[in-house]
Amino acid sequence: MIETRNLSKQFKLTRQQKKELGNEFAGSTVNAVSGVNFTAHPGRVFSLLGANGAGKTTTLRMLATMLKPTAGTAQICGFDVVTQAVEVRKRLGFLTGSTGLYDRLTASELVKYYADLHGMDKATFEHRRDEIFDRLDMHEFANRRIGKLSTGMRQKVSITRTIIHDPEVVIFDEPTAGLDVVTARSIIQLIRDFRKQGKTVIFSTHIMGEVNLLSDDLAIIHKGKLCYQGTYQEFGEQMTTKSLEDEFIKIVEEAGK
Amino acid sequence: MKAFFIIFKKEAVDTLRDRRTLITMIVLPLVIFPLIIGIVTRVSESQEGKAKLKELKVAIVSVEKLPQFEKIILQEKDMVLVGSVDEDSVRSYIKAETLDGAFVFSNRFSKRLVALKPGRLKFYFRSAEGQNIKKERMLKVVDKFEEQLLKERFVKLNLSETTAETINLTEVDIATTQERLGKAIGGFLPYIFVIFCFLGSMYPAIDLGAGEKERGTIETLLTTPVDRFVILLGKFGVVVLTGISSAIIALVGLYLGIRQAGEIPPDVAEVLASVLQPQTIVLLISLLLPLTMFFAGILLSMSMYAKTFKEAQSLITPVNLLIIVPVAVGLIPGVELNSVTALIPILNVSLSTREIVAGTMDFALLTEVYASLVLIAGLSLFSASRLFVKESVIFRG
Repeated sequence: MIETRNLSKQFKLTRQQKKELGNEFAGSTVNAVSGVNFTAHPGRVFSLLGANGAGKTTTLRMLATMLKPTAGTAQICGFDVVTQAVEVRKRLGFLTGSTGLYDRLTASELVKYYADLHGMDKATFEHRRDEIFDRLDMHEFANRRIGKLSTGMRQKVSITRTIIHDPEVVIFDEPTAGLDVVTARSIIQLIRDFRKQGKTVIFSTHIMGEVNLLSDDLAIIHKGKLCYQGTYQEFGEQMTTKSLEDEFIKIVEEAGK
Repeated sequence: MKAFFIIFKKEAVDTLRDRRTLITMIVLPLVIFPLIIGIVTRVSESQEGKAKLKELKVAIVSVEKLPQFEKIILQEKDMVLVGSVDEDSVRSYIKAETLDGAFVFSNRFSKRLVALKPGRLKFYFRSAEGQNIKKERMLKVVDKFEEQLLKERFVKLNLSETTAETINLTEVDIATTQERLGKAIGGFLPYIFVIFCFLGSMYPAIDLGAGEKERGTIETLLTTPVDRFVILLGKFGVVVLTGISSAIIALVGLYLGIRQAGEIPPDVAEVLASVLQPQTIVLLISLLLPLTMFFAGILLSMSMYAKTFKEAQSLITPVNLLIIVPVAVGLIPGVELNSVTALIPILNVSLSTREIVAGTMDFALLTEVYASLVLIAGLSLFSASRLFVKESVIFRG
């Protein structure tokens, strides 16, 4: 389970950023995320929607313990992301569309590296690795260097790295960004599998089609603030426009007023 | 500790598979010295050989006949006497390489000798690189001539040849060969230490810092349950290892270069043997370790700060030039290791190396050097660790 209470993040502006914002902007900080409250439950997929720069990545990075909130709290499986960061990370898998891999390692070496960092014992690791490699059909290229793999193969390695330690919570930050349709579809399928397995899944996107395919719960973030939160079913019932996309734009525009 | 070794092992494997690192860490330091020494030796040998074998054309310009001098020249191997040249044309003949040298005797040469005064003789030659051997060969005939004239003078004056000697000086140099040559050779070693320590550390540091950010792997690493300082330590360990390895490989390369250059002069061989003593090697590596740690901390800090591999390279390249300055200062005559210079990073390594190789190291000063190096190594690691936890640095963009 993921629970956030009044989660906020302020960034100090660099001289260059201040210059870019112009004279009208007087402050030296910017609120990337302000007072965000939501709960993501096990066995459900929570979609975080927002335009580019809305605060999705910052929110997810705070949940993944990479950034420290400037105010508010967030808990993952009951552990605080600031004071119990190590416990949080043990239970967390994090995948982004821009996630990189080590090109000079083989797929097997890379997966082993992350398993070791998660403190997995040899037998558990081997069992889990074989299970995932079977499911994603990875044996053929397991001992090939990652630099020589296709985009689809690389994505499979990335997924394996994310879930090798069988995390209770999986965070996907725009996981299909820049991927071809086939690879993107495999990620969607994986997220569905996680839901079936009872994991808490949170994913950010601005692609409405993915929301339709996956969401149980959703939240829309705009300029760092949540402007909608509810179940996907409720969202559909309250819709006053023809499509999800139009509804999203309507909500964001109203929030911006 | 386990996490440190996991990270260290992975980073080491990853680094050793990087072609750029392998070239700067192993190939370059191993090959550069044998190559330089080989080329320099061959070229100078061939130039010396040519100069030694070349037939020298010399001329005597004199109003009187000097059969004794002519005879000496004619007795010389590979030296021919060119006839009738006047002093005015000597310069143009030498420039045109028709002549290699000319001996111009004053008009009163013999008369001055008879009056027991020194005879005046001008020697024309053209000094240029690689021409010293020619000059020496030509001046040898003057030495022989002078020797004969002196003998004649002593006989004429009925004096013993030792009459001209007022002091019979015997120099007793208490410095060992190691001390004499060690300081010269030891002055050169820090160049290798410092440059290759830095070069060897540079690419791994850039790859493990900025490279990790550019690839997008830093985020995945930071979401593992490993303390950030331990992650940094793993990276730091690999950078130190590559830096030290590079410097040691460069020293091996230098040794191989000297060996392949042919016969080593006994004096140099003696110093080399002393450098290769386990005690000296241990002392040198013990200097190298904190120095490389210092570099690793600085390089990782800069690399972590940079957004991309390219930015890191452009930040680090000027530092490469900066670190040479203290090494160069260490070579200035009169700059010695003392309680002040022992505290100046890099310069203290340069000066200590000289003293260690010469076998004249003051161990109180060495302790001061270690203290200074360990302190700055610690500070540079501390600065890297501060940057590694700074969100504005890790997610700078």
